[in-house]
Amino acid sequence: MSIFTESSGQVLACPRCDTLAYAPRVKEGQKVLCHCCGSKIMAFKKNSIERTLALTVAGLIVALPAIFMPIIGVGFVGFYHQASLFDSILELFDRGYLLIALAVFLFTAAIPLIKLSGAFYLTWSIKRKRPKPALMKFFRSYHHLDSWAMLHVFVLGVVVSMYKLVDIADLSIGYGFTAFVFLQLCSTLVTVTLDHHYIWHYLERHVDE
Amino acid sequence: MSRTARSSGLSICPRCHKLNPAVSGRHRCSRCHAYFYQRKPRSIEYTIAWTIAALVMFIPANMLPIMVVTTLGETEASTILEGIAKFITLGMYPVAVIVFIASFIVPLAKILGLVILVMGVRGGEGLKSKQRTRLYFLVEFLGPWSMLDVFVVTLMAAVVKLGFLTSIEAGTGITYFTLMVIFTMFAAESFDPRLLWDNKYRIPNRNE
Repeated sequence: MSIFTESSGQVLACPRCDTLAYAPRVKEGQKVLCHCCGSKIMAFKKNSIERTLALTVAGLIVALPAIFMPIIGVGFVGFYHQASLFDSILELFDRGYLLIALAVFLFTAAIPLIKLSGAFYLTWSIKRKRPKPALMKFFRSYHHLDSWAMLHVFVLGVVVSMYKLVDIADLSIGYGFTAFVFLQLCSTLVTVTLDHHYIWHYLERHVDE
Repeated sequence: MSRTARSSGLSICPRCHKLNPAVSGRHRCSRCHAYFYQRKPRSIEYTIAWTIAALVMFIPANMLPIMVVTTLGETEASTILEGIAKFITLGMYPVAVIVFIASFIVPLAKILGLVILVMGVRGGEGLKSKQRTRLYFLVEFLGPWSMLDVFVVTLMAAVVKLGFLTSIEAGTGITYFTLMVIFTMFAAESFDPRLLWDNKYRIPNRNE
């Protein structure tokens, strides 16, 4: 992973304020900040590909239980009912809130899953040294996935719901919640470990179109 | 004065951040082959449009009930603010504060922030470009957090189904609320922070 030391002398531009800067020699774990506006221009991440690969595998394992297993359940004098994320989306759909059902499905299930499987495929292909041109097309839109995945907000939503319910009824926490917290952790850590700059350099060198 | 990509006849690809030689109009990135412009076209117009749309949605989102609770045949609909008031009467202050910030303060702050940014592109008095860029960061970061109440209602409506005893349904307000959040996120995404630095008030860098 010596791309950055080789490419020193290369010019970078800050995507936030357009200021030009020469790429400094950076070591693993260091990042380059814009001297004008202070935004992060790039970060050289440690073992980015391996770490991302491991995290995406972990995330994909917990994804299905997170979506389909009950998150919380409530009981009250003999009645008991529990619901998973999938049940919640179906409930909205049944009630005719199609737009909300679609939004919740996209933000908490579809987009995080596409993000994780995409990052998995990307890092796997780079690890196996078989990058395909399609990867470039996918990675072009990857940053949009990052800003529309809302797992962290959903986790806080579950906590707030628990607070609301704990007074009304007997509350039980399902396996789905544990799985969901892990899924959220994996998804956030993937954002932290994925080195966009490195991947673009790699794809540029190894993909022939 | 620090040199920008634009003043050097260069243009940065928004997808892969590669510097490309600039031509007027549409470019094709030499690395990722995506089409792009040197600046997002009509960025200010789109940002204003989405912000106004979000502001309009803010009204029904707060007037209409977002949650309908039925307890032993009695139906009680509550709006966002009524829900928060209930938390306060129950003495759950931390949750009240979190929900109030996430679903009331944050959307308003985002809309206000976007207005300040749009005005900031014209340059002049007020915040410095660097502070405005920070503000943009903040608006972008806050983006998804206002979905909190929508997720809470979604989950509550699915889980609280205890026969005739008590049941919860989503109210019409959440449609407008979700649209408002999505519109503010679109507004933030349409905004091009580099416009804040393009004007002639660009502050020279001291280190140079």
